[in-house]
Amino acid sequence: MATLKESLALKSALLSVLLLAVFLGLWQLAAQPAASGGTIVDPEYAKLVGQAAATGSKTPMPTPADIGVALWKHLSDPFYVRGTNDKGIGIQLAWSIGRVLAGYLLAAAVAIPLGFLIGMSPLVYRALDPFIQVLKPVSPLAWMPLALYTIKDSQISSIFVIFICSIWPMLINTAFGVASVRREWLNVARTLEVGPFRKAFRVILPAAAPTIMTGMRISIGIAWLVIVAAEMLVGGTGIGYFVWNEWNNLSIANIVSAILLIGLVGLVLDQMLARIARLVTYPE
Amino acid sequence: MERAMISVEGLARRFGDHGQPAVFEDVWFGVEKGEFVCLIGHSGCGKTTILNVLAGLDRPSGGTVIVDNREIDGPSLDRAVIFQSHALLPWLSVLGNIAFAVSSRWPRWPRAKVREHALRFIELVGLKGAADKRPAELSGGMKQRVGIARALSIEPKMLLMDEPFSALDALTRGMLQDEVLRICAETQQTVFMITHDVDEAILLADRIVLMTNGPGACIAEFVVNTMPRAERQRNGLHRHPQYYAIRNHLVEFLVNRSRAFDREIAEHGYDSRRPRTVRPGLAAINPAAEVVPLRHAN
Amino acid sequence: MTMFTDPFDAKTLLSRRCACGGNHTPEQHLEATRVAASTEESWWTRVVDAAVLRAVFPHDAQRRLFLRTVGASTAMAAISTVFPLAIAREAFAQGGAPEKRDLKVGFIPITCATPIIMAHPMGFYSKHGLNVEVVKTAGWAVIRDKALNKEYDAAHMLAPMPIAISIGAGSNPIPFAMPAIENINGQAITLASKHKDKRSPKDWKGFRFAVPFDYSMHNYLLRYYVAEHGLDPDKDIQIRSVPPPEMVANLRADNIDGFLGPDPFNQRAVFDGVGFIHLLTKELWDGHPCCAFAVSKEFIAQNPNTYRALLKAIIEATAFASKADNRKEIAKAIAPQNYLNQPEIVLEQILTGTYADGLGAVKRDPKRIDFDPFPWPQFAIWILTQMKRWGQIKGDVDYAKIAADVYLATDTVQLMKEAGFTPPDPTRKTIVIMGKPFDASKPEAYLQSFAIRRS
Ligand SMILES: Nc1ncnc2c1ncn2[C@@H]1O[C@H](COP(=O)(O)OP(=O)(O)O)[C@@H](O)[C@H]1O
Ligand SMILES: [Mg+2]
Repeated sequence: MATLKESLALKSALLSVLLLAVFLGLWQLAAQPAASGGTIVDPEYAKLVGQAAATGSKTPMPTPADIGVALWKHLSDPFYVRGTNDKGIGIQLAWSIGRVLAGYLLAAAVAIPLGFLIGMSPLVYRALDPFIQVLKPVSPLAWMPLALYTIKDSQISSIFVIFICSIWPMLINTAFGVASVRREWLNVARTLEVGPFRKAFRVILPAAAPTIMTGMRISIGIAWLVIVAAEMLVGGTGIGYFVWNEWNNLSIANIVSAILLIGLVGLVLDQMLARIARLVTYPE
Repeated sequence: MERAMISVEGLARRFGDHGQPAVFEDVWFGVEKGEFVCLIGHSGCGKTTILNVLAGLDRPSGGTVIVDNREIDGPSLDRAVIFQSHALLPWLSVLGNIAFAVSSRWPRWPRAKVREHALRFIELVGLKGAADKRPAELSGGMKQRVGIARALSIEPKMLLMDEPFSALDALTRGMLQDEVLRICAETQQTVFMITHDVDEAILLADRIVLMTNGPGACIAEFVVNTMPRAERQRNGLHRHPQYYAIRNHLVEFLVNRSRAFDREIAEHGYDSRRPRTVRPGLAAINPAAEVVPLRHAN
Repeated sequence: MTMFTDPFDAKTLLSRRCACGGNHTPEQHLEATRVAASTEESWWTRVVDAAVLRAVFPHDAQRRLFLRTVGASTAMAAISTVFPLAIAREAFAQGGAPEKRDLKVGFIPITCATPIIMAHPMGFYSKHGLNVEVVKTAGWAVIRDKALNKEYDAAHMLAPMPIAISIGAGSNPIPFAMPAIENINGQAITLASKHKDKRSPKDWKGFRFAVPFDYSMHNYLLRYYVAEHGLDPDKDIQIRSVPPPEMVANLRADNIDGFLGPDPFNQRAVFDGVGFIHLLTKELWDGHPCCAFAVSKEFIAQNPNTYRALLKAIIEATAFASKADNRKEIAKAIAPQNYLNQPEIVLEQILTGTYADGLGAVKRDPKRIDFDPFPWPQFAIWILTQMKRWGQIKGDVDYAKIAADVYLATDTVQLMKEAGFTPPDPTRKTIVIMGKPFDASKPEAYLQSFAIRRS
């Protein structure tokens, strides 16, 4: 059994590598600057424009090799500071992660107790439901101008946007998880004359924990998506700002390397929560 | 009049608005201290509802339940419940489930004492090796043993069991029934148990309460199990001289009388406060002792 | 004509070599002195001493010789016998000490912001005792919000924005002031390479154009230009607001046919082979304003000295930027990631005016972009006529009052005098756009003279 599983893992890994190699190879080929019709241009003109433009074509997409170079450049010196608007990618990521955690933890601190109350009381559940349904689908970037306008501080505004976007999945899942705790488990607590706090922490919380963790996992994904967009809008620091700054420079290689890092950090955040989720999940 | 330990007085329960007929109404019966009482009736007649009211998990629409001369007003650690679906907390181990109950009963006990007490009851139901397993890793029978251990561990004044063995295979069920018999003999527990299994009732119960079909179900009569506890052995039960008489009486009730009991009422009269008590087992060994009501033609 | 080419220009304060004779700029010297000085007073003392020393010995060689022979402290003692140094120090400190030294100034990474940006690496802010952080910002709406939020003490804006903010177009009215224009000219209409042969706006029906912001000279100039060629900008073409960096990407992706946008993105489109420069906005209106340096009136009231110091730094930086000789140096200073984050060659073409046009020719126009701080009230009035022309504002407009309130020409006049420049006479300004003169004293008549308009 074990060897079968191992060989499957090995094969799938090999296939992944192969797919990646094919993809990168095709990309490398496609991004090669086209050998143009050899338009003869004035050498003085050629000096003033990009290589491709000098021969009458457009600057091509960067090749995977260009991106590798850009990535290496960023990773080999991730923490430099060369002025307000030019800091290493490590610093930018740290800023983004810091903001995400601040907004996310705040959201969790509000959503979980509030979700608990909502889930415990069908009355509150029904009363708040229309608000939640209306606010939940609002795009993060729609909150941004409102936040900037009312909070008047872009740093707090971006944390607020994380907060407001990551609160819904946690709130809804907590309320749902709490509301759908099996009746019989509650009855066990009742026949044992368990007090309200003990019941909340020893029965309802562990019972709803997998659902709550699912919400938290969705939320961290949203928070990480939102921060990049929010920072692109507000600027200053963070990986979103980095992408925007490179976009400003039309440097696709730098943008792609930032995208790779954004994906990687998102994956790590997700896996961290998945691990916690596994700890609180119980088979029935 | 001296009240029984559990005294159900004029109980009724209806769901929904007042237009709906009651599931059962005007239900009167009692359970004496140390007595093992089984309630038998068809599915849907309201057995679980009655048990929930006794447990304090549900409130009746009418009537009261008096336990130890006090009207109950909610669940109590004195009345332990063994649920049909065992209702174990799946995120806790076997030990954790029982320790949770024990520490709810004696909140001031130190951890070690709780653990030691819990382990004692795990051993009692024969799950010594499985203390650290999660419920999901247990078979159905083992889960129900945990449920029994949990109920017993809080040393309640009485046990309320809702078809505790109905989901088990015959072999496991038999073993658990023996277990329950043994434990009740040891602890002199007062037990109120719901079942729809006739043999189970004969094996376990000192007295069997027959419930008619709903809606508007009521208690038809009490059947005293005249087989002494010591003579009730699962393997030799069917060879006991009283066995078939009692069994036939119960089956006859379930098959025919339970759904047409109002006709019996019309013919013979009925006092809901004092339903008739019958002893069909004695009639088998001494036909003069007891008169079995006539069977009604359909 | 910009005022920095005046004959009086010779009085400029800036000598790029330091007075102490070392191989560094005076700002670097001040910075070093400042670090060395233990208290604020002693810093001011050094500043004044150095200034007096320079006044007594105007020639570097002479001063160095004197200092070398007698030593610095003896030299100051000797001078104080003939010049009341203590009084000079006091007077300077009183007039100058800024209320707030640590400032944040927002900018959009385009060449229009050159004076605001270069004042940082080239030391103009620190020269006036300010520690300014220049913060790159993502867009005009954000820079407006951050300026309104007081996150920025001052900001780079489009010239129409302080007017729009002050009269409450697009948001609540908040009194804003625009004491200095950043740049004049320096914008262009860039078309996608495939439109090489459609050089007349008459061929542009159905084109999709991008401008950086609704309240921008870009928007008004593009509308003016096509309207003069008989196209209605609201009906015959589409104009949308697009952040400048996205203009090139959109042009490349064929989402737009062209844009009237700020540099470096016109030149960047040429550099990447995506488009060509159809015309410079200078060809429409030579000397038109574009971007501005804006502060809230509240900030001015609370920090008058800081405001004066800041404005002086901006005016000096603008003067420095207006010199053709300095342009290559500026291109180098503002190219890094911290500022514009662009290839130096692109910036150099914009600032020097020797540029590839995207059609294979190298063009030369040293005035492609120029820098002139003077906030002519006539500019404000023209902008208001266009806001009204295209329906951004409605009803009666008190052109002269708004212009005077927002475009603080009087402050600029005074500070230019203090800084040793000769300010122009605000009443003598002629504006001609595409051959049609604009008389700022008759804005309504001017507005009515257009055939294509919304009001
Ligand atoms: N919460 C409830 N709401 C409405 N009807 C209920 C509820 N619980 C039980 N009933 C109804 O009451 C009747 C008796 O149910 P129950 O006591 O579970 O029967 P039994 O245990 O005898 O099979 C059934 O008809 C059932 O549908
Ligand atoms: Mg039932």
